[in-house]
Amino acid sequence: MRQYRKTALLFLAPFLTVFVAFYLTPVFYAIYLSLFIRKRVGIGPAKEIFGGLANYIRAIQDGDFLNGLKNMFVFGVVQVPVMLGLAIILALLLAESRGIFMKICRTAFFMPYGIPSAIGALIWGYLYSPNLSPFNQVLGALHGGAIDFLSPGVVLYSIANIVTWTWTGYNMITLFAALQNIPTELYEAAKVDGASPWDIVRSIKIPLLMPTLKLLFIFSVIGTSQLFTEAFVLRPLGYVADNITPNLYLYLTAARDANYSYAGALAILLALLIFVISGPFLRRISSK
Amino acid sequence: MAIKQPSAPAEPGDAIAPPPAAPQVEADSSPVPGVLRNVVLGAFLLYCLLPATWIIAAMTKDNGQIFSTFGLWFATPIHFFENLSGLFTYQNGIFLRWFGNSLVYAGSITLGSTLICAMGGYAFSKYDFPYKQLLFNFILGTIMVPSTALVLPLFLLLNKVGLVNTMWGVILPSLVNPFGLYLMKTFWDSGFPSELIEASRLEGASEWQIFWRIGMPLMQTGLVTVALLCFVGAWNNFFLPLIVLSQDSLYPLTLGLNVWNSVSSAAGGRPVYNLIALGSLISVLPLLVAFVVLGKYWRGGLTAGATKG
Repeated sequence: MRQYRKTALLFLAPFLTVFVAFYLTPVFYAIYLSLFIRKRVGIGPAKEIFGGLANYIRAIQDGDFLNGLKNMFVFGVVQVPVMLGLAIILALLLAESRGIFMKICRTAFFMPYGIPSAIGALIWGYLYSPNLSPFNQVLGALHGGAIDFLSPGVVLYSIANIVTWTWTGYNMITLFAALQNIPTELYEAAKVDGASPWDIVRSIKIPLLMPTLKLLFIFSVIGTSQLFTEAFVLRPLGYVADNITPNLYLYLTAARDANYSYAGALAILLALLIFVISGPFLRRISSK
Repeated sequence: MAIKQPSAPAEPGDAIAPPPAAPQVEADSSPVPGVLRNVVLGAFLLYCLLPATWIIAAMTKDNGQIFSTFGLWFATPIHFFENLSGLFTYQNGIFLRWFGNSLVYAGSITLGSTLICAMGGYAFSKYDFPYKQLLFNFILGTIMVPSTALVLPLFLLLNKVGLVNTMWGVILPSLVNPFGLYLMKTFWDSGFPSELIEASRLEGASEWQIFWRIGMPLMQTGLVTVALLCFVGAWNNFFLPLIVLSQDSLYPLTLGLNVWNSVSSAAGGRPVYNLIALGSLISVLPLLVAFVVLGKYWRGGLTAGATKG
């Protein structure tokens, strides 16, 4: 097939061109930038000088960055399992439904995924906003109380709710499709052997959904590490800390403080962290 | 030997749609009673529709009513038509401009990215070349890189070549779509047999003709799926335009409506929550239409990657 090597390269050329120009180059540029620090030498404006790993050493001691990582970790162990648990329950229930109600649910559950996250977060922001929130209108009418969904201690959970609202349906549809791919003979055989409906869920459905579930878990963790839009959109409406997610913090470091070299180091560290966490999972899945 | 033509174009969705609802479980074999099942599904249905309810109510109110009346129900008098004309005239009708921009961004990114992925996936599926597997795994691995890691240095690079604050600055970087490449490769693997290529070569067809005239028409399902995923991604894009664009006449809808929100929420700003609500609804309409019309492609495409494992 040697004769076709050149043809293959031509077919690949457009993808490789944009991939190198707009994907690889920025990554290497970020690595390069991250090796510089800004320093004031004598009188005059600060200069960018080579600093080696100084930015990285600063980053791993940076309380703001670590706070973002901590929140990301909370998300990973609380929001992701809750969302995937919900998705699996809904998928199992939906697989047993029929008719128009099933179709309405299938469409409506999935709909939030199609709504731009910047728009979804905006609308949830209004549902949270102290002046507008219908929840607080109800609470106020009942016993005069109110919850500030955008206050420092609560806002992380408010963001978690937006993410859950957006992605549960997507995860559910994927699991639902995987359920449909399970051969029905398996259920028949289990029933002949005297398995109860719970046994079938526990011993057939859940184990066969595991590969899909693992993949969804990885995608969710990657998504968690990229959390930005929701936090950014809620900022004008309430109190959202600059360091609530690593991504918001590094965006502000670059866009507001114009410290691109430090933002570069933060970005590289974050990417490495994701690689370390999700790499082994992904390898195990792709080797199957 | 004649080139074997496919007898009929594959029914859209054929290859990937889940099999038509096989009644695999009778009602009596469910571990959960039907009533409980419907209650749980119904509760989640309400949760999913909650923001839509607020929006639909808010788009019929003026700003005063949005603050003073119950958020999840309508109020009289109805101000829907005032809001509609307000939306298209506020700030010299910039909303329409944003809508057009979103169409330009999403349209060009979808066309370009789908074609690039179709060609690249074809190369990986049908040809052999050195380091093929290594390159493919490397490209797939980059899916894990957080977008912020890219966008900030990307901004500096775009600045150097004068693409900052231009439409190209949003469009060109969005053409990169590793997941689309992966999807197209799997579609080519399963939907276009290599024997067909061999036969076409014997007939004297060029490699490009085989790809474009024989292969592409067979790839309908795959192309629509990848195009839909591209369209959703491009229509929803927020971070890249936020960084690259500073001139509001170039904004897509997602960015424009958020600017209105920032202004509305700022001290002394004129609140236009009624216009934002109506604008939000209009901004999701193209996606909802695409979803309802092409539902089976969505479901198929989303699950194609995840259920192969």
